[in-house]
Amino acid sequence: MTKASPEGTVFVVDDDASFRTSVSRLLRAAGHQVQAFASASDLLQGLPATGPGCVVADLQMPGMSGLELQAALAESGNPLPVLFLTGQGDIPTSVTAMRLGAEDFLTKLAPKKVLLEAVSRALARDARERAERARGQAARARFETLTEREREVLEHVLRGQLNKQIAGDLGIHERTVKLHRTAITNKVGVQSVAELTQLWLLAFPKGQ
Amino acid sequence: MAASACLTLAALHLLVWSRRRTAWASLLFSLASVGTAALAGCELWMMRSQTPAEYGMALRWLMAAAWVVTVSLTGFALVYLRAGRSWLAWTVVGARTLTLLADFGSAPNAAYLEISSLRQVPFLGEAVSVAHGVPNPAMPFAQLGLLLFLAFIADTSLSAWRRGDRRQALIVGGGMILVATAGMIESVLVFREIVHRPFTAAPFYLALVAAMAYQLSEDVLRASRLSDDLREREQQVALAADAADVGLWVWTTPQDTVWGTEKLNPMLGFAPGEPISGEAFLTRVHPEDRAPTRQALRRALDEKSDYSTEYRVVLPDGRQRWIATRGRVEKAEKRGSLRMLGVCMDITHRKQAEEQFHLVVEAAPSGVVLMNPEGRVVLVNRETERLFGYTRDELTGQPVDVLVPERFRGDHPGYHAGFLAAPQARAMGLGKELLARRKDGTEFACEIGLSPIERGNESLVLLAVVDVTARKRDQAEMLRLRDALAHAGRVSTMAQLASGLAHELNQPLAAILRNAEAAELLLQKSPPDLVELRAILADICKDDHRAGGVIDHMRAILTRRAQEHVELDVAELVDDVLVLVQPDAASRKVRLGVEVPESLPPVRGDRVQLQQVLLNLVLNGIDAMADVPAEQRRLVVRARPASAGTIEVAIADAGPGVAAAKLERLFEPFFTTKPNGMGLGLPISARIIQAHGGRIWAESSAAGATFYFTVPVSGAA
Repeated sequence: MTKASPEGTVFVVDDDASFRTSVSRLLRAAGHQVQAFASASDLLQGLPATGPGCVVADLQMPGMSGLELQAALAESGNPLPVLFLTGQGDIPTSVTAMRLGAEDFLTKLAPKKVLLEAVSRALARDARERAERARGQAARARFETLTEREREVLEHVLRGQLNKQIAGDLGIHERTVKLHRTAITNKVGVQSVAELTQLWLLAFPKGQ
Repeated sequence: MAASACLTLAALHLLVWSRRRTAWASLLFSLASVGTAALAGCELWMMRSQTPAEYGMALRWLMAAAWVVTVSLTGFALVYLRAGRSWLAWTVVGARTLTLLADFGSAPNAAYLEISSLRQVPFLGEAVSVAHGVPNPAMPFAQLGLLLFLAFIADTSLSAWRRGDRRQALIVGGGMILVATAGMIESVLVFREIVHRPFTAAPFYLALVAAMAYQLSEDVLRASRLSDDLREREQQVALAADAADVGLWVWTTPQDTVWGTEKLNPMLGFAPGEPISGEAFLTRVHPEDRAPTRQALRRALDEKSDYSTEYRVVLPDGRQRWIATRGRVEKAEKRGSLRMLGVCMDITHRKQAEEQFHLVVEAAPSGVVLMNPEGRVVLVNRETERLFGYTRDELTGQPVDVLVPERFRGDHPGYHAGFLAAPQARAMGLGKELLARRKDGTEFACEIGLSPIERGNESLVLLAVVDVTARKRDQAEMLRLRDALAHAGRVSTMAQLASGLAHELNQPLAAILRNAEAAELLLQKSPPDLVELRAILADICKDDHRAGGVIDHMRAILTRRAQEHVELDVAELVDDVLVLVQPDAASRKVRLGVEVPESLPPVRGDRVQLQQVLLNLVLNGIDAMADVPAEQRRLVVRARPASAGTIEVAIADAGPGVAAAKLERLFEPFFTTKPNGMGLGLPISARIIQAHGGRIWAESSAAGATFYFTVPVSGAA
């Protein structure tokens, strides 16, 4: 059942040593790179700043719990997807976990196939999100080359205003507005306002 | 002298007669006495007469005296002996009067046509005159009159004798017959000149008068004694009446006078000594009771019947008093008037008590029914009306059975007859469902208390009826809640336990699974990583031990409490548990039986743990009978000495039993035959019994399953 798995390290967190060992063994045997930690805080400390992967965590651990770990990861610079394993699942906890973006929620005795597929899915998601994050980063870099005035004009353009309106709002000549627009499209490297908008949304997915 | 005695007596009885005009006997006796005195005088005159003419005159007057005597004696006999035929009396009087007419109509008298000469004969030492002449043919008339008189007296005396007045008949009647006979014989002998001696009838009559006088005085004495007695009795009655707090009265109508004892006046609100009349009495009666009282009095007078009423009297100070009166009408002495004799009693206290009784009964929160010995309703209260939907008028006089559902009516009369035979207060319906029937036919559960009440010589029964529908519903609800609570408690403890157990077991089991899966994957590689595989196998063994350790740990938790081994009485142990189980058993209609001999030696063990085992086995048994018909649900706990210093306790149910294949697995953890069972009760019980050095097993037959366990006897090694 070996299958070429996507890039990335599986970070296993469980306070129970024997389960940690056994699940690490299985994932390794399945062809994954595995790093195991005994607690959530150990993981956060030992986690590389970048680098693909996913987290397989016990939901109930002494110290930081699985849900807290998930929240902390989401805030970090490397928001890896989390796959929860639990001795016994209870619905409220699983609902919370899924709402917070957990990749999956499995019992510790879940069939191997289900577990491995879930891990693969988590890694694929990480790769996808990672690529998206990279493209956004590039786009942001392009927008950062604009001057202050060009950024002002860009904001008005993105709102869909005509040159005349923009000139009125900013108190400059319409011709000047046109010049700024040309400069923006040249700097950012797009052909149309539609392209410009798309690129802007890629760079700033949450609005700014 | 004799004559003067007669006259004295005559005067005496004349006096009596003058005082009591109805005493005709006294008057007649006086006449007879006077006549006798005259008779004696005439006889003396005859003896002393010197000429035949004088003798004749004396004899003529003697005849007249004799008439007076016989006529008055006839009357006397008639009046005194209160008997005799009056036509015979009149005949006597007639015959005697004819004789008298003959006496005065012929010369010289009725005895002689002619007295020729007088002769002197010696009489009592004196020479007295005796006549000689021609006898009068009218004489037999005189004798006939005497004969009729005799016949009349004989007849009258006989009647009196027969009536029972023997003394009077003998003295008066007998005396008269003797004297009259003697007088008749003497007159024949003397006036026919068969013997030559003077006529001396007077002494005989004198004797008769004396006898009659004696008899009369006896009567007078008795009468006065009677009146004394009467007066004394009257006083006694008045005293008794006073002492008994009753007033006696005699009311005479139409004179409308009332005589009463001392208590009567104050009782009816009259001043002492104030005269009472019927009308005055009625003004004292409470206005509401006046008309009924007047009617009752009138009816009693009209029908000459007994009279009985109860009424209120308003005293001058405004207070009211209840009076009960009983009376009887009888004829008064005076013609046309009636007398009513009666007694008045103050029954205010009784009435107040009755009123209080009614108030209490009326206000009672339970239905009250008073039943007579025939089982009929005498009285009910408002609550009874409410409970049963009948009005009291509808119920009063009805058999109490109308309050019982038809299907129980057969039993019911017997039941209350039994109760009346041995009456004592008891509460019915305790632990027994009694049903009562409303007017509309619906039924309700009730509890009935019975109390016997003696009223006079009548045995009444007071039934107190309480509707227990609500109480029963509450009880059922409470039982249900308690069961639910107990079950929830048991389930939650078990669930917690199971959840903990599951979590603890999940870790090693999951580790084993993942290790095995890893090994499987490793084995697919070539060459397989044997080092890693060996590590995996070691870990699998380790985790397996770990899982076993968890189970041991759980078992330890379940039996964690430090065992306290003490001497225990098996019977007590069983009782304690059955007390706990009783409500459960009752609500599930399971009868519990105990067969534990008293002589069992005590065992040694931990009370709480052994109780837990018993409780577990008994509850299992009850659960096992859930689908068995209620009448077969019976669970028995037995105990007996078993081999090797142990006591064997058996818990036998009447359930469907346990299949042989399942029988062996019963004591395995998590093996259960119950839909909601955890499969932990029997393993835990087994563990406890083993810790006690005993044995636990189960047997099953068609009759049900029996669980056994043994515990060592105290002192046995």
